[in-house]
Amino acid sequence: MKVIKVLLCLTLVFLLGGCWNRKELNDLAICVGIGIDKVKTGYSVSVQVVDPAEVVANKGKPGRAPVTLFTMSGATVFEALRKMTTISPRKIYMSHTRMLILGEELAREGIAPVLDFVSRDHEFRTDFYIAVARGTTAHNILKVITPLEQIPANELFASLETSSKAWAPTAAITLDQLIADLTNKGKQAVLTGIKLTGSPEEGDQRENVEQIDSNVLLQYTTLAAFRGDKLIGWLNEKDSKAYNYITGNVKSTAGSLPCKGGGRLTMEIMKSNSKVKAILKNGKPEIMVDIHLENDIGEVQCKIDLTKMETIEEIQKEAEKGMVATGMRAVTYAKQHEVDIFGFGDVIHRQYPKVWKQLEKNWNKEFAKLPVHIKAEVKIRRLGTINNAFKEK
Amino acid sequence: MAQIGPRLDENVHFVKESLGYSNDIVIRELVLDSREPVRAAILYTDGMVDSHMVQGVLINSLLYKTRFKEIELEREEDLVPFLKDAVLTVGDIGDVNNFPELFTAMLSGCVIILIDGYEKAMAIGLQEWKDRGVTEPTAQTVIRGPREGFTESLRTNITLLRRRIASEKMWVETRRIGEVTKTEIAVVYIKGLVEEGVIEEVRNRLDRIDVDGLMESGMIEELIQDAAYTPFPTISNSERPDVVAANLLEGRVAIIVDGTPFVLTVPSLFVEFFHSAEDYYQRADFSTLIRMLRFVSFFIALLAPSLYIAITTFHQEMLPTQLLISLAAQREGVPFPALVEALLMEIAFEILREAGIRMPRAVGQAISVVGTLVIGQAAVEAGIVSAAMVIVVSITAISSFIFPAINMSIPVRILRFPLMILAASFGIYGIIVGVLGLVLHLCSLRSFGVPYMSTFAPFSFKEQRDAILRAPRWMMDKRPESITKRNMRRQSPNLKPKPPEH
Repeated sequence: MKVIKVLLCLTLVFLLGGCWNRKELNDLAICVGIGIDKVKTGYSVSVQVVDPAEVVANKGKPGRAPVTLFTMSGATVFEALRKMTTISPRKIYMSHTRMLILGEELAREGIAPVLDFVSRDHEFRTDFYIAVARGTTAHNILKVITPLEQIPANELFASLETSSKAWAPTAAITLDQLIADLTNKGKQAVLTGIKLTGSPEEGDQRENVEQIDSNVLLQYTTLAAFRGDKLIGWLNEKDSKAYNYITGNVKSTAGSLPCKGGGRLTMEIMKSNSKVKAILKNGKPEIMVDIHLENDIGEVQCKIDLTKMETIEEIQKEAEKGMVATGMRAVTYAKQHEVDIFGFGDVIHRQYPKVWKQLEKNWNKEFAKLPVHIKAEVKIRRLGTINNAFKEK
Repeated sequence: MAQIGPRLDENVHFVKESLGYSNDIVIRELVLDSREPVRAAILYTDGMVDSHMVQGVLINSLLYKTRFKEIELEREEDLVPFLKDAVLTVGDIGDVNNFPELFTAMLSGCVIILIDGYEKAMAIGLQEWKDRGVTEPTAQTVIRGPREGFTESLRTNITLLRRRIASEKMWVETRRIGEVTKTEIAVVYIKGLVEEGVIEEVRNRLDRIDVDGLMESGMIEELIQDAAYTPFPTISNSERPDVVAANLLEGRVAIIVDGTPFVLTVPSLFVEFFHSAEDYYQRADFSTLIRMLRFVSFFIALLAPSLYIAITTFHQEMLPTQLLISLAAQREGVPFPALVEALLMEIAFEILREAGIRMPRAVGQAISVVGTLVIGQAAVEAGIVSAAMVIVVSITAISSFIFPAINMSIPVRILRFPLMILAASFGIYGIIVGVLGLVLHLCSLRSFGVPYMSTFAPFSFKEQRDAILRAPRWMMDKRPESITKRNMRRQSPNLKPKPPEH
């Protein structure tokens, strides 16, 4: 009898829970990409939602688009998202967001208010990438139908990941990294830019992907530098690359040098390492950057004899010189804009906390005056599968 | 009238009366011609004795041998020992003092000799009846290993064990249980290896049994297990003599029940139900992998549907995006919540499984065709269940068939359902709570005093050689310490094979 009573109570526990918070898969609007733009009344939020049946269906007949874009504006991001239920049949489910695109206008005005919601909401995982729509709105970026990947946000995610691994000028930045940079006084944030090639009107037509050479594509550009939470300018491609060299984010890339006798020689960077150190000179901090590269020869269009050690050493020297020059250019750019995107302040903070205490308040100005020395060491390891270029005879 | 009286006709009449003149009882009256003619009767159950022996040897020796022997008997009582000592050319002769004993002996195939003037009878063991014969075991099949299986006959079963263990240490204790059936039960163990406490416990528990009848060892199992309420088997059974013999060698006790090929062995541990006889006949590395596979299957069979329910209704963020989209696409248009979907499929599967066992073999084929078509295809195409759910239920079903001991799949089958409900109400949190409860329950179980989860809890490092892993034969030089603590040495500790030294 007692057993029955206990069992009854337990059953009630199951039933009274009422399956709270239960969401069946077909009640979810799975959001893969969010775009946030600034509008007069507040924010305009665009959400790219997957239509699962369309993504999976491998039948030939074209039905609906694989994703749908819901756009809604509101005074705050959260409000806009909730208001979205008036146009979406299902509740937007945020956990699978792959990309967060911020409009350039919004980025120039400040991204901190927007990020608060994204990091506060429990549904967001922090493994999505963040990018800035360059010269256009986030809405326009998210409405492009992309080739190869059915879900445009996945395309953006994969493309950013690949390009940051194989082509250095982009940076795959996740939410926690961005927030860490924003709250860190000794480092300013950067974000990769994304732009449209072609007109935004054409991008959301299915014809865009029905032709071999799509008219509208999404392309990652270089890095945007932030001061605080405000975008203040775009680095060019070389500077972006140099940024990644100095911060040690280069996994692999390609870089070319002019040869003596004309033509260019391209090297594949296989391994890149950087060490940033601060030293004190007369009580003033200076920054030493040590960049170590291991390169392979990737493409030779000039008349040189690669079989000789001297040639290799010469190339190494040239490459080192080039590396230092690019690095210095990027540092100069940052100094001009008074944004310490490299995190030199952070290095000083770690090594000389007392010195940092004095510099901290006025760091942006101090950074502009900070002496920075870059040293590079390039080692050429392999020549590829042939020795000399075969046009040489 | 429980005592055998001095007058033969009264005794014979009483036997006839008691058995209601059943016509399978044969009563042959004859006259023994020693010094002076003595009347006697032979009683036996037709079909249970070797009739050639009865006619050719027993009656022959009684009628003729008594004539030629000119032995002076001093007193009439000496006739019984005389017959035993000098006349009857058969092996197994026992004394019977009263009618209950007489009936039990006669009805279990003994030939009874009653002699006029004697208040005693002789029971001669000449049992022979039609039985199934030793065939290949069907419930526990192996690829490599002996093909013999136990039969329904207790004698044959003991013989099968003796043929494997030719040691004077293998002791057999028999007793009869069942008020009406008087079923013979044998307790077999190896003296010196078995823990005395365990054998004493077995005796006590068997003696406690007071039932009308026993049809199968499962009935004993239910009456002697440690915990009354548990879905887990705490007594293992086998129809393979090699398995039972190996268990005896590890210090376990076997309980053989007449009339069933399933022999019980105690104490049993949780891990034992994941061990197959073949594990010890195959290479150790392979057996280890297969055992790991069984443990993985155990968790799949127990948890796969509940995890699927929990993840797809509560924790969608745990899935990779691509998988989530593909699952969501499959669920598009499915009208039921995941729990109902899972219950539908699980119940449908259980029906199929049960029907498949009960059906006459010829219809079984039809069942499997209907099952595959109905569950596999039609349900998905009609949009009642999603394809992913069919996959989950199928892998669950297949996994629950992997256990070498079928009785371990039973708790898994039962517990799957409460876990599914927990998952549907509380998500993964519910599953964790359920599994914790399960672990607590398992750790509270005992089998004849030995903790059921032994080798894991209490943890024994030495016994890991034969739990999830199966160490090479030369490494297993000690008996499992959770079963027996006497005579631990199983083999020489340096049996590791080496190449020749020169």
